Amino acid sequence: MTLRIAEKKGEWINRDMPLTFTYEGQTVEAFEGDTMSSALWAAGIKVLGRSFKYHRARGVLSFANHDVNALMTDGVDTNIRADVIPVSHGMELFAVNTEGGVVKDKNRFIDRLSPFLPVGFYYKTFFKPRMMFPFWENKIRKAAGLGKVNFDYPRQLRPKRNAHCDVLIIGAGPSGLSAALTAANHGKQVILVDENRYAGGSLGYDHAADSSTSDKLETLLKQVSEHSNIRLICDAYAGGYYGDHLVPVVGKEGITKVRARSVIVATGAFEQPPVFRNNDLPGVMLGSAAQRLVHRYAVKPFHRGVVVTGNDHGYRTALDLIAGGVEVLALVDMRQQSGDEQLAAAVASKGITIHLASCIYEVIPSSDKLGVAEVVLAGYDEQTASARLEHSSRIACDGVAMSAGWAPAAALLYQAGTKMRYDYAVEQFVPAQLPEGVFAAGKVNGVYDLALRLRDGQRAAADAVRYLGGQDVEQIEVTQSFQLAPSHAYPIVHHPDGKNFVDFDEDIQVKDFINAAKEGFDNIELMKRFTTVGMGPSQGKHSNMNAIRILARIRQLPVEQIGTTTARPFFHPTPLAHLGGRGFHPHRLTAMHEWHVNHGGVMMEAGAWMRPAWYQPQGAKLTAQQAVQQEAMAVRNAAGMIDGSTLGKIEVFGQDAGAFLERFYTGKFADLQFGSSRVALLLDEAGVMVDDGVAARLAEDKFYVSTNSSNAATVYREMQRNLQLWGMSVTLVNLTGAMAAMTLAGPASGSILTELTELDLFEEAFPQGAIRTAEVAGVQARIMRVAFVADLAFEIHVPSSSALHVWQKIMKTGQPFGLRPFGTDAQRLLRLEMGHHLISHDTDGLTNPFEAHAGGLLAMDKAFFTGQRSLQILAAKPVKKQLVKFVLDPGFSAELPKECNLVINAGQITGRVTSIAYSEYLNRVIGMAFVAPDQAANGQQFDIRTDDGLLVKARVVQGSFFKLSAQ
Amino acid sequence: MQRPVLRSPAAFAQEALKPERGVINQMMTANSFADPATEAEYVSRLSLCDVSFLQRFGCKGPTAAEWLSAQGLPVPEQANHYVQQGELRVLRLGNSEFLIEEEAGSEQLAQLNQTDVPERVHAVLRNDAAFVISGPLVSELFAQVCDIDVIAELEDESRLVMTMMAGVSVTMLRQKSAEGWQYRVWCDGTLGVYLWQTLLTIIQELGGGPVGANHYFKSN
Repeated sequence: MTLRIAEKKGEWINRDMPLTFTYEGQTVEAFEGDTMSSALWAAGIKVLGRSFKYHRARGVLSFANHDVNALMTDGVDTNIRADVIPVSHGMELFAVNTEGGVVKDKNRFIDRLSPFLPVGFYYKTFFKPRMMFPFWENKIRKAAGLGKVNFDYPRQLRPKRNAHCDVLIIGAGPSGLSAALTAANHGKQVILVDENRYAGGSLGYDHAADSSTSDKLETLLKQVSEHSNIRLICDAYAGGYYGDHLVPVVGKEGITKVRARSVIVATGAFEQPPVFRNNDLPGVMLGSAAQRLVHRYAVKPFHRGVVVTGNDHGYRTALDLIAGGVEVLALVDMRQQSGDEQLAAAVASKGITIHLASCIYEVIPSSDKLGVAEVVLAGYDEQTASARLEHSSRIACDGVAMSAGWAPAAALLYQAGTKMRYDYAVEQFVPAQLPEGVFAAGKVNGVYDLALRLRDGQRAAADAVRYLGGQDVEQIEVTQSFQLAPSHAYPIVHHPDGKNFVDFDEDIQVKDFINAAKEGFDNIELMKRFTTVGMGPSQGKHSNMNAIRILARIRQLPVEQIGTTTARPFFHPTPLAHLGGRGFHPHRLTAMHEWHVNHGGVMMEAGAWMRPAWYQPQGAKLTAQQAVQQEAMAVRNAAGMIDGSTLGKIEVFGQDAGAFLERFYTGKFADLQFGSSRVALLLDEAGVMVDDGVAARLAEDKFYVSTNSSNAATVYREMQRNLQLWGMSVTLVNLTGAMAAMTLAGPASGSILTELTELDLFEEAFPQGAIRTAEVAGVQARIMRVAFVADLAFEIHVPSSSALHVWQKIMKTGQPFGLRPFGTDAQRLLRLEMGHHLISHDTDGLTNPFEAHAGGLLAMDKAFFTGQRSLQILAAKPVKKQLVKFVLDPGFSAELPKECNLVINAGQITGRVTSIAYSEYLNRVIGMAFVAPDQAANGQQFDIRTDDGLLVKARVVQGSFFKLSAQ
Repeated sequence: MQRPVLRSPAAFAQEALKPERGVINQMMTANSFADPATEAEYVSRLSLCDVSFLQRFGCKGPTAAEWLSAQGLPVPEQANHYVQQGELRVLRLGNSEFLIEEEAGSEQLAQLNQTDVPERVHAVLRNDAAFVISGPLVSELFAQVCDIDVIAELEDESRLVMTMMAGVSVTMLRQKSAEGWQYRVWCDGTLGVYLWQTLLTIIQELGGGPVGANHYFKSN
């Protein structure tokens, strides 16, 4: 049996390209361009899926990207929207959420249990006995739901694109097309987006048997395609509206982030179903769905059918059905009178009986409950929303087309911050106050007549052009008058046996709303959550408006007082691959990166940088712990070198350079001698320790400042900010990337470096904290005597472009001395042995210098430094915690505490471990911890609780571990 | 002591492509990645060339503009603009910050690099990764890596923009060449490998590829 009809002008299928696919094992013939649903429907297959909860048979409903009961799987992908996704040759499709096939789904018995499964039943049942709840939860989750997630889904990399335009127009129906042409004719760059495969909107299917409509569409499309200012993007939807007119446009290949100077929303409206018993059976569909089947795919929705309507659109549908070869048996109008007399006359002239003030009381299903057998017509009382059965009759048919009205596709307008109002003239929400630069046109703006929609598009475009500065553009007025609203105020037909569905996603019936209200869920947001209306995959596009109307009537309130629920981005389900997209994760490499990789460097991310954590020497099979201990021992006994290029490096020039650093850091720098350096401790305004580096004076007006690796950008930015605030004569240059650095440390370091430089490195000439400029391996370098990881160490700063050369020369020269490279793990151990804390590692976002024994770095007698006022307040208060160094007992062999393990005193938490490590050099476990002030005295013991709950004794020590060992 | 041969900041990313290398301006540089016809084909679609080897001079300070003028250099009147004079490009990165770049073969910057800067002018050490992007598909590339409409921003040929490209701060300008528009990009050298890899991945997806310095400059 086939429902395919003769070729229609503008149809979307290619009859020259036939194809076959299978559905539930059955071979089906189709044409290229057919969607899964249109191909199946053309082949007479009307059961396209099972409903979410009751497993009722379902077919086509909207045929507009929202048929969430017609979801397919092809074995790889799931929840494929059959109403819009084209079928391809060789596909093997199955409906989702069935057991034993879509026709003989074993779970269809649940429909018979529906009286016992009202909304919210799972809130009230199965929770006793409590131990049984997981069992029932599992059963419910299996029975209800959509497709199964394929955990072997192939990884897809979707690029994210950016696009820019003067005017973004969302929706390429008549309003959108005319708006695009108007804006483009005023010289504006336009992006026009439509979710359908082809532009045109309702011009492509809502003809009311008038062929001039498709001619009009052809003309508009030609003008648009020929206009160089218009970029038309089809098969892509605007997923949301974000500030400054940023709209993500979701296409098959990924997301395009459109940044527009103005936005025109011409998204149209969703047709709304009337609510009557069995309005969900396969064969019962929206009028616009029937029109789309006929005009886009040349498929008859049914052979013999009835049209039920609450507006004039039903009449248009009837005429299109007749033109498509459908035998229309009756037109049932729920209103007291028809609106457009010409349409009514046209329908009547086809010999169709029009039943005014009538309704479909119920649809009688076929014996297998898989389709329509007949409909029961009755009179309709609009006041009580009930059928008058005294005049009922039956009509045998195989389908029903239904139209009750429209809900504006206004999600983007809501997201943009539009204030909406309920307009009784059109019985829908319309924009009352639009945000700046956002405009609405067409049905979403409450304009329905075709000629007026075209004009409304021009009007919106003219408004947009004026907004963009085109003050000479004439204002366009659009006025409309209705005899009857395009939407029925209450298209509900009560039925004692229910199954009159409001929400097809979640199987929610009219009685469910009434019961929810009785239980107190009579606010729209509460009702939404209790009934789950609008929470299915279509997000209430065909149910929210009816839900609002029902609640308004229950509460005896006008619709506008009920309000609407919040529409959040994304407007439509969007693949995670699209949302993830191609990510950019910049990482910085030092000039020696290649050397590290080639010499066994185990690279790790350290902030924005890649750094070697440790090295696996060639041919060795060391564990990380072994390698780290060996590297540290090399520094203690011979020499080691670490790539320190990640340090922040900032030059501070100018006559106020010294004064600036005095204000910026806690210490004194104005009196700093040339060629020497001091620790530079940075606080925030609250007195919290932010960074500690070194500031070295190169000349009267020139300092070279280093920062912690992770803080370079922050400190530089903070310097720039303060420079502007303080108005000082200082120039800053961030050399973090331009200068590389390496630290050569250990007793042999001086001997090694001496071979590559003429600089006198002996103690008297080059004391701790000194900085000198000299050539190293032929490259001009800044050399600093430092003591962070060892007593004798040299920080060598050279231009990045020469750094690899210098590094290689030092490594080669140091070989006879036992020089080894060491990574960040050994560096942490070495500085711990030296007793140095790391800011942001041993301190946190609340630590002040008094708590971290950094009081010696504070020059409180200065006139000002950042954080000074807070410190003055803090100094008057007792400290709450104290950072201390500790050791564990010699030979400790139990479970080693970890960083962040808690310090416990009399069952109370008094602090935490911030650093801990075993030092092979000291043959001792050493660490740092925050403890209560009364636990901080030298030699005092405290307990650390390990992950396993053991209490480990630790003892406070003072001074450098390294030096203690030496003593 | 012999001066060291320098490495391009993007050299590590180019290893796997096995380019033919040569020394330009004392920097080991990828001279070609494929035969000239293939590289020309890339340029006719979308291409990426590493020009980090070009000589540069940076300076900053309240009187930097006056000093550069005194050196006979053209100085753009406004920030975020540049002037091309012969082999030199003078980029004004801010009110008081400048980058000067010299085409290969010219030696004017060598003199400047040896000149002592006066008080209130500070020489700025540069370590730029510098690339030339060209080909008619640049708009598709920029659409993927730049949030702003770079092409529109650079319509005025004297302008330069500082923006983010694939998450990295870059300076960009556009110049006309015999083969069409070229976009010059500078970023911090430590990000050169990342930016080269990221751009090249997308460029290759779009049917383009890398070209060596020989395509634009003949090395010695």
